[in-house]
Amino acid sequence: MFGVFQVDWPQYIPDIATGIRWTIEFTVISFVLAAIWGLVLALARGSQVAILRWLAYGYTELFKNVPIITEIFVVYYGLGEIGITLGTFSAGVISLVVFYGAYLAEIFRGALQSVPDTQKEASAALGFTWPQIMRHVVLPQAVRVALPGTATMLVDLLKSTSLLITIAAAELMNQAQTIASETFRPMEVYVVIGGIYFLMCFPLSRLTLMIENRLAIGAAFSPARRRMLKAITSRSTRTVVVEAS
Amino acid sequence: MRPSSASYSGTIAIERLRKSFGSTEVLREIDLTIAQGSIVCLMGKSGGGKSTLLRCLNLLERPSGGTISIGAHRIFDETDALSKRQVVELRQHVGMIFQSFHLFPHLTAAENVVLAQTVTKRTSPAEALDRAMDLLATVGLTHRAAAYPRQMSGGEQQRTAIARTLAVGPDVLLCDEPTSALDPESTHDVLNVLKKLAHHGMTMLVATHELTFARDVADRIIFMDGGQIVEDGAPEDIIKKPKRQRTREFFEHVQP
Repeated sequence: MFGVFQVDWPQYIPDIATGIRWTIEFTVISFVLAAIWGLVLALARGSQVAILRWLAYGYTELFKNVPIITEIFVVYYGLGEIGITLGTFSAGVISLVVFYGAYLAEIFRGALQSVPDTQKEASAALGFTWPQIMRHVVLPQAVRVALPGTATMLVDLLKSTSLLITIAAAELMNQAQTIASETFRPMEVYVVIGGIYFLMCFPLSRLTLMIENRLAIGAAFSPARRRMLKAITSRSTRTVVVEAS
Repeated sequence: MRPSSASYSGTIAIERLRKSFGSTEVLREIDLTIAQGSIVCLMGKSGGGKSTLLRCLNLLERPSGGTISIGAHRIFDETDALSKRQVVELRQHVGMIFQSFHLFPHLTAAENVVLAQTVTKRTSPAEALDRAMDLLATVGLTHRAAAYPRQMSGGEQQRTAIARTLAVGPDVLLCDEPTSALDPESTHDVLNVLKKLAHHGMTMLVATHELTFARDVADRIIFMDGGQIVEDGAPEDIIKKPKRQRTREFFEHVQP
């Protein structure tokens, strides 16, 4: 092979596979934890307890406005200096959760606020308890609003795992660096690896877009709701036929 | 939480009820007794205190003073507040219809009615759907059961909201200007539903500007102005020979 592709790629398939696996593990674990942490922060910002509101506000503003690379260094090297030594995996996950938790908190807070107070009032008037109002009325509506921003953050987080190269976390970009230094073909290597990131991110974006669209038209996501919608449709149309005949 | 067997049917007794928002007094020393099962129309111009009075009865507003009892339950007095659990129980027995419906936009009409039951009464979904379809039939919306609120007219949404409130099984129904956001045809449909519900044991308090409805359906009209009750009596008396100039002027304006 000559021209653009001169690296012996088949030889590096195991390394790339390892890199992809680590990247996916970092992404999935960090995202799930960041989403939970973000929800806690968002609820704290809407809390009746002033101190919780202020702490959550201070936290989000701090970590939203500091480069993620700073967080990676502080968590990995900084904590090490004060005696808390973390492995690359924990350090990587913590950095990502701390950073994306702040961003997701902002998205979730906006989504929770987008549900009108009249919805809460109407459910309270029916005799729903506060947890029931959150669970059945506020969250289902907030999820629809939060989804586009959350999906963007998921893709962004996947790409940001590449910054963990700075602590040698063995993820995909780290593998790229190794391959590039072995082959002296940085241009080719980084373009190919960039292509792999694209192949991971693009379907993810499409998938979330598809979920958004299905949510927007009210499609059922659980078997129970699918059965319920089917029963409703059949019972509403059946009676129309009877009425018409 | 299990629905309480304790019924909230019975007389509604309001004494010296006051409510202020900041320095604005919205209700001034209201004394009012409403017999079980009666249909009462609250009339009077906007800002007169009708909505606030209704909203005090399910504690969406906390009164500033006075007492309220519904049946055997003292739901408000100045010395002691209901627990959260008791407020939830009260609201399951004292239902409310709002001017702008407030259906859950992410659910179909039938699911709105189903959710009210599965949440408040732990009914199974299948059972709740049976009852939801019955209630939608009552309000004439069987064919709209699978529609989302955004796909329905205002009148259809309001009738669904009525079905949703009835699904919880209230003893008292508070209607806060249920037709004020509707066109004449939808208004007619919604009022017909309310008419159908009247005199079946449920106490109904309806804040409304619909004189014809008040005359034909209500047992009693209460006319409010400036946070006070200025007229109170049988519809024909209030409409034909109001005691006060204020009331006379109002009826001249709303007269079709």
